[in-house]
Amino acid sequence: MNPFNLKSALLAKHAQHVVLIHFPIALFLAGTGFDVAASWTKQTVKSATIKSAARINIFAAAVFVVPTIVSGFLAWQWALEGEKLHGLLLLHLALACTAGIMICLVALLQWRQQGKPGTSSNCCLALELLTAGILALAAHVGGFLSGVNG
Amino acid sequence: MKRLGWISSFAVLMMALVLIVVPMLDKSAVAGRPAAVEIKIDNFSFVPPTVTVKAGTQITWTNKDDIPHNVVSEDKSFKSKVLDTDEKFTMTATKPGIYTYYCSIHPKMTGKLVVEQ
Repeated sequence: MNPFNLKSALLAKHAQHVVLIHFPIALFLAGTGFDVAASWTKQTVKSATIKSAARINIFAAAVFVVPTIVSGFLAWQWALEGEKLHGLLLLHLALACTAGIMICLVALLQWRQQGKPGTSSNCCLALELLTAGILALAAHVGGFLSGVNG
Repeated sequence: MKRLGWISSFAVLMMALVLIVVPMLDKSAVAGRPAAVEIKIDNFSFVPPTVTVKAGTQITWTNKDDIPHNVVSEDKSFKSKVLDTDEKFTMTATKPGIYTYYCSIHPKMTGKLVVEQ
């Protein structure tokens, strides 16, 4: 396939999921990284700036969760005709859906904390780190299924 | 002494009979049995990638990979469920023709089945 042939690339059915998945992973992990850095920074102004960067990344990750999950379900329908899943495929589906819901939950918490300095709790950071762990696991299983981590 | 000679002769005759008849029985049994071919799925490929068989041959695909795969013909004449490691899919090739098949999870994995009359 010619990589510059837009029609072929867009009609490559379940290949879209493999492309889109990189966006929420990268954005959320970057957001979590910024949040961890913000919690370590002693300077209030610097910390607030890093925290803003974390929020923007996490919001963008939440936005990308929707097309990624949709393309994942479409891949299931197109490639496997909605066949009942088991084993690694079922594990990937369960982990990815959990991670997707948790990213949206973290984004909602970040949205509510916006403009309220000093309200960023350790609990929210812990939830972010837990989400990052589940996301990494879902990504690892996905990579294994596609042959990248094989 | 004469009796021992008879027994020896009988034993030799029986052994000769066994040596002649058993292979013939075996051949007739194989001839009556439908032929079978096995294709392995390993390291993201079908091995061998091209198989030529006579119509009526039973073909079995075995997933020897750590990753789930399936077998789908391009003309949709056969399709397996998702095969986990060591799971098998068996089908009998009845209609002569050239069948190109692939794994729908990993579409770059392709194979060819040639069914002859």
